[in-house]
Amino acid sequence: MSQKSPTSMLPYVLLSPAVLATVIVVFYPMVQAVITSLYSNILWRPRAVRFIGLDNYIAIWNDPVFWASLGRTAIWIGLTVPLQLLLGLVTALLLNQTFRWRGLARSLILIPWALPSVVIGLMWSWIYNPQVGLLNDLMLRLGLLQSAVPWLANPDTSLYAIIAALVWQGFPFFAIMILAGLQNIPHSLYEAADIDGASDWQQFWHITLPSLKAVLVTAVMLRIIWVANSIDVIYVMTGGGPGYATHTLPLYALKRTYASMDFGYGSALAVSFSLLLLGAIYLYLRRVGKTIE
Amino acid sequence: MPIKLRSLLGAALGAAVLACGTASAQQNVNFWYHVDNAENTKLMDELVKTFEAKNPNIKIKAENVPWNNYFDKLFISIAGGKAPDVAVTRLALQPQLLEMDAIEPITKQLAAWPGKADLANNLLEINKATNGEYYYMPLQYVAIYLYYRTDLFAKYNLKPPATCEDFLEAAKKLTLPASANGGTELYGFGMRGGKGGHDNWGPFVLSQTSFAPDALTSPKAVAANSWYIDLLRKHKVAPPSASNDGFNEIISAFKSGRTAMIFHHIGSAKGMTEALGDKVSAVPVPSCGGGRWTYFGDESTTMFKTSKVKEASWKWMSFLGESENNLKFNEATGQLTVTKSGALKVPHPARFVKATMDSLAFAKPMPLVPQTADFVSTVWPTNMQRALNGEISSAQMMDAIDKHFNAK
Amino acid sequence: MSVSTHRPLRRIFTLHLPMLAIVLFALGPYLWMLLTSLKQESTLFLPERQFLPAVVTLENYVRLFQKTTFLNNLGHSLIVSSGTMLLGLSVSITAAYAFSRFRFPGRRMLMLQFLLVNMFPIVLLIIPLFIIMKGLGLLDTHLGLILAHCTFSIPFATWMMISYFDAIPRSLDEAAMVDGCTPVGAMFRVVLPLTVPGIIATGIYIFITSWNEYLYASVLAGQNVRTLTVAIQTLVGEYEIAWGLLTAGGVMGALPVTLLFMLIQKRLVAGMTQGAVKG
Repeated sequence: MSQKSPTSMLPYVLLSPAVLATVIVVFYPMVQAVITSLYSNILWRPRAVRFIGLDNYIAIWNDPVFWASLGRTAIWIGLTVPLQLLLGLVTALLLNQTFRWRGLARSLILIPWALPSVVIGLMWSWIYNPQVGLLNDLMLRLGLLQSAVPWLANPDTSLYAIIAALVWQGFPFFAIMILAGLQNIPHSLYEAADIDGASDWQQFWHITLPSLKAVLVTAVMLRIIWVANSIDVIYVMTGGGPGYATHTLPLYALKRTYASMDFGYGSALAVSFSLLLLGAIYLYLRRVGKTIE
Repeated sequence: MPIKLRSLLGAALGAAVLACGTASAQQNVNFWYHVDNAENTKLMDELVKTFEAKNPNIKIKAENVPWNNYFDKLFISIAGGKAPDVAVTRLALQPQLLEMDAIEPITKQLAAWPGKADLANNLLEINKATNGEYYYMPLQYVAIYLYYRTDLFAKYNLKPPATCEDFLEAAKKLTLPASANGGTELYGFGMRGGKGGHDNWGPFVLSQTSFAPDALTSPKAVAANSWYIDLLRKHKVAPPSASNDGFNEIISAFKSGRTAMIFHHIGSAKGMTEALGDKVSAVPVPSCGGGRWTYFGDESTTMFKTSKVKEASWKWMSFLGESENNLKFNEATGQLTVTKSGALKVPHPARFVKATMDSLAFAKPMPLVPQTADFVSTVWPTNMQRALNGEISSAQMMDAIDKHFNAK
Repeated sequence: MSVSTHRPLRRIFTLHLPMLAIVLFALGPYLWMLLTSLKQESTLFLPERQFLPAVVTLENYVRLFQKTTFLNNLGHSLIVSSGTMLLGLSVSITAAYAFSRFRFPGRRMLMLQFLLVNMFPIVLLIIPLFIIMKGLGLLDTHLGLILAHCTFSIPFATWMMISYFDAIPRSLDEAAMVDGCTPVGAMFRVVLPLTVPGIIATGIYIFITSWNEYLYASVLAGQNVRTLTVAIQTLVGEYEIAWGLLTAGGVMGALPVTLLFMLIQKRLVAGMTQGAVKG
């Protein structure tokens, strides 16, 4: 039963602070960015700013770096989010059990997520360093490698090396969010299933997963948006290189806007990226059957 | 009428009192700078104290802005309408700042400044803008030179390289597998392929060409660039991680004895001597193809047009340009002082000062055009990395750079 | 999973070992950073690679606390993050309740708009936001930074809370309202207590997002209000990285959040749904 008048103003009242704080504050800058994308606007040429309509977007269509970055972004999201989800799900299931040291385990899990990106980027860069880093050293000693691999300098491995660092950073988010979601599943369901003789796997598949659906769908969606936009760690570890090997679309937009000071083109890239992401999320929501009723 | 005159006089008197009051009211100068060692902000605090003691009506609000987005923050505040009064800046930004009409000329103040004669020769000239005015007050400088391991050179009977050919020979002799070097792999040259590495590339390439239209795509220039790329791809005298190595990686590799030569400047000299003592020394960069080029790294202060306390700002800028104060500032940053009197008292080890001084004859900044900033942060690193990884050819790389600077 | 206890041996393999592996994976790089922070900085780049410190020293921590403004910055971060968490939670909980329990014109559009806000790269929002904050006189203040952080945490937090609210059947609200509660009363009395784990998860999310934020903290503030992330960035210089201070700072930087979480994590799994929810 949905609520209608006389309380029909109530939802709007409840929403207004959030709408004020986010939509209104961000709306104006977003609109302005769209407008800027229709201009040729290079910051250090303020006198040469002129309206060029969709020329920036046409240039994007013809820009091979745009397509390369788009591809990288797809790989970036397509690997990072599922890996974080998987690891986070397993962690949450384990943390939900009763055992002596679970309070400690739960708190320690948080640490990767609690570190600032610059520290994570520098730390992992050092770990990957072929001359003085931990990973190569360990793998050489274990005989897994013959000679040190320059993980970040090799365009074939750099993106995946950074993905590994991101999975490490982000899986606690899933662990915590899923753990909270697990609390709403009544124990009675599991007890009944035990009595019926269902195996652990069957209970997971038929009880746990369906009950978690709302939380999982939301968590994955939020994470896709977050990971897509997250460039701090990449910036510190490789700056987008070597070459264009670790350029994701937001990173490319950042470089064009701040390094090249080309606000027109940078804004067009940002707008394009947002639209593409919106489209992807929309398809995702339809696919998992969560219609926003 | 008399009433009107009296009230007029009263108003005038009030205004005069107000004006006097404002003149002796406190003025705040917002100053942005950056130091690599966060502990050294104490030195800045001391400088501020000294200045404020001499100028009781001026308060300096000095902010140590993190280096990694120092210029971003500067541009954002200019664009957002709240620039500081004075900030530390570089030549590479001058064209852009001028285009944005953001900075204030200090030509008049410089002409009347007694400390001008003490500035090292031609520093002011290098900082002069293309329109003939002066906007920058020199603060410190460095020149890129070559660090080398004296013990390794002695061990293999090598002399510090004077030409490119010498360089290659030394690098080859000093590239050894772990078995031949007591368990640690050694590379002759710690090439910096990541951002900022254009000052490694410059001595080998810019010594034989220039940024003039079509000069970069001439056969000689392309060949010089090829030679540089071959250091990694053909002769393998640089570590395989070179294309992504930034400052941090080349310094740590050199300090831990994994490379024998790197390019850098006097700013790191203190750390080098702490780690390696007498085993490290420096010489100017080798000459190539008959020419010689090294990177002149400058840092100056500039005043922003939006400042409401221009007189106080100038006082602070000139204060930092005076001998003793300048030396103290340089203590915080490790770079070289700009004054002649100060140059006699620098705390750096003599051999590094000599290497820097000897480089001044051929040390040049990057071209003073707006495209330089983008070249440094995007165009050079991206193209260099692709060329080092074999994705593009030397000619393609030079072509991209030429297009960037000289697009018709 | 199943609640009944299994044979202890089996639990070692299905529970303790995997859990330990994951904890070690999460902790590994952090522990390595801790070890590095206990070494003397001058010994960090010797030819022989050493894992363990030859001489354990606290000099980096001493320098961190005495010679830099680290504690001060920690305090600023705590204020900003706590403020963002409190403001963000209150605003997003009420908004999420509205979205979850009511159907009204514009609902779908607003929900999507909340997502869109976070899809836009924040680097392009920085200049307009700077101008807004300057106009409000909030540059370099705690409140300004809290508001700026709220702009991107609230949308996500709202969506998170919506998913937790949706898991509570509306029959509970209705039962409460039949008993005489207003809708808002039903929210406070019935629904919120059941979503405490979700609230904690969301609160932690907001806190951490604000704690680690760098761009707004460095551009919209920096002098009077200097957070931990900005302070740590000053340790990364143009040609010198203060590794000793940086690793010490990194180790310390993760502790407040972890300690905070340790205090409240029990409530995260206080699943008191037995009896409240009839199948």
